[in-house]
Amino acid sequence: MINPSEPQRDPLALRALDGVTQGVNVAGSLLILGLMLLIGADVAGRNLFGQPVPGVPELVSLSIVAIVFLQVPQALRKGRIARSEALLSVLPRQASRALQTLFDLAGVAAVGVIVWTTWPVFVRAWERDQFVGAIGDITFPVWPVKLCILVGGMLLVLQFAARIWRRHGPGDQETGA
Amino acid sequence: MTGFEIGLIALAIMALLVLAGLHVPIALMLCSYAGVWAITGSPLLASRLVSLAANDSISSYFFGVVPLFVLMGFLVSEAGLGKDAYAVANRAFYRLKGGLAVGTVGANAIFAAITGISIASAAVFTRIAVPEMVRAGYAPRFAVGVVAGSSVLGMLIPPSLLLILYGILAEQSIGDMFLAGIGPGLIMAVAFSVGIVLMAVFMPGLTGRPGKPDGDAMPLREVLAKAGPILLLIFVVLGGIYGGIFTPVEAGAVGSIAALVIGVARGSLNWRQIWNVLVETGLVTAAVCFLIIAAQIYSRMLSLSGVPQGLANWAAAADLGFWGLMLAYIAVLILLGMILDSSSILLIAVPLMLPVVIPMGLDLVWFGIVTVIAVEIGLLTPPFGISVYVIKSTLEDASITLGDIFRGAAPFALIMFLVLLLVIAWPPLTLALVPGR
Repeated sequence: MINPSEPQRDPLALRALDGVTQGVNVAGSLLILGLMLLIGADVAGRNLFGQPVPGVPELVSLSIVAIVFLQVPQALRKGRIARSEALLSVLPRQASRALQTLFDLAGVAAVGVIVWTTWPVFVRAWERDQFVGAIGDITFPVWPVKLCILVGGMLLVLQFAARIWRRHGPGDQETGA
Repeated sequence: MTGFEIGLIALAIMALLVLAGLHVPIALMLCSYAGVWAITGSPLLASRLVSLAANDSISSYFFGVVPLFVLMGFLVSEAGLGKDAYAVANRAFYRLKGGLAVGTVGANAIFAAITGISIASAAVFTRIAVPEMVRAGYAPRFAVGVVAGSSVLGMLIPPSLLLILYGILAEQSIGDMFLAGIGPGLIMAVAFSVGIVLMAVFMPGLTGRPGKPDGDAMPLREVLAKAGPILLLIFVVLGGIYGGIFTPVEAGAVGSIAALVIGVARGSLNWRQIWNVLVETGLVTAAVCFLIIAAQIYSRMLSLSGVPQGLANWAAAADLGFWGLMLAYIAVLILLGMILDSSSILLIAVPLMLPVVIPMGLDLVWFGIVTVIAVEIGLLTPPFGISVYVIKSTLEDASITLGDIFRGAAPFALIMFLVLLLVIAWPPLTLALVPGR
């Protein structure tokens, strides 16, 4: 399990990674708060003043993607991504460590594909100024969300790699979390 | 090799990897990616599918509400409303044998109407109900069993995150799903209560021998003061949805705001707590939605491979009959529930099963309720049982082991199974409230 004194013993690179991970996590949490207020304002505006807030469905569907990718690296760090631990806990320690490292490499590969395939989508959105919404009404650019996918995806790849580092890296034999 | 064979192989490898402990979304993504590549012979197409899933599959208004329903669940528990529900329910069942345990079930049913995630209920009631029951003389094993069993009510009684997920997967109206959950949820609560009283009377060795609760009953005025905010929230959320003021999708946001206002007004929510709740919400949302993204790639792979169609043909040829098919399906869900969490199971099993049940003319809303109950039974059975793990980690009592909690929950899993059979045998129980069925 995660040792409370572990962060002090992490090398600078890992601490920096965790810092950035937490930073984007905070941004994602603020987005959730914003989402709540936005929908609340829309409901209130529509019912009390007969005037809905324009562009709410577009904003909601854009921000949920950003929220997920900004928070998922921290979710991995905190052990929240669903997995079955039954087998890993009964395997001999060495075998369990080796298998987990293999699985973390699988994570690097899978999320790597996401980052790899999203890059051209981001470039296109940026270069062509793609937007959602109706012209003449309210529109939102698409590229910030694509950027969130890229940043979150890359952090997730790094967090998978960091798990391997923490398991096999120098100076730390006991934290096989 | 045909697409069907490749699909089956991909499924088998996926099952093995998940069992071995690979993160579920990663297993879904990799096996589906490889599967699509093998079926179409085009890595480009496989990559496009991944990109599409990551960029577009959750980019909709419906998914936007996932964090808000989670937020609402955490806010109401942090604001102390669970404790109030418990106090009120206890007052109601004060004189009954096994009253404290029945009170826990009642409180869970009330709490379920203002929260959509069962982990919130499990954590809250472990903290408040278990110590109270143990102090009154209930066997600790029974006390945790009551909490584990009744926490599943949170997933049946609307609002409910699982019902929303199913509604999205099966393209059913979320409002209909919510209405359909009410009947079975209430029946389940009643069945739990009857079961508890019977156990308390006939099997005191199992329940322990609780003494008479000490002190006087809570004065009525205090009951009203405690029940008021909860009733207000239920009224705002459910009244708002069915009064046509806002959609079920928006109810999460409105409910969160209401819970926030009530919590701050009562002084039971400070900024520190609100921030913690927000961060917690983000982590749960990310975990669930990342799974959904992976499941999109998976279901695309499934439909390309034709496995669900093959499964449907096989089911038709095998002539299992209605009950045979249902029991087989339930058995698989319960088995899955032993190793996986409920959203993973839903996302894996439902895309496989829909092509099987649609030609049979079964009602998809009803099928969703059956699915959710079966999944929740799996969550009470060893070795995984996520509710049980939440309870264990919330419990500050090392003498109650995981095994104790599983054994304590067993009678409740059995009762759930009986209710499930009833729900299957008698669809009006589910569909009576749903308009147009």
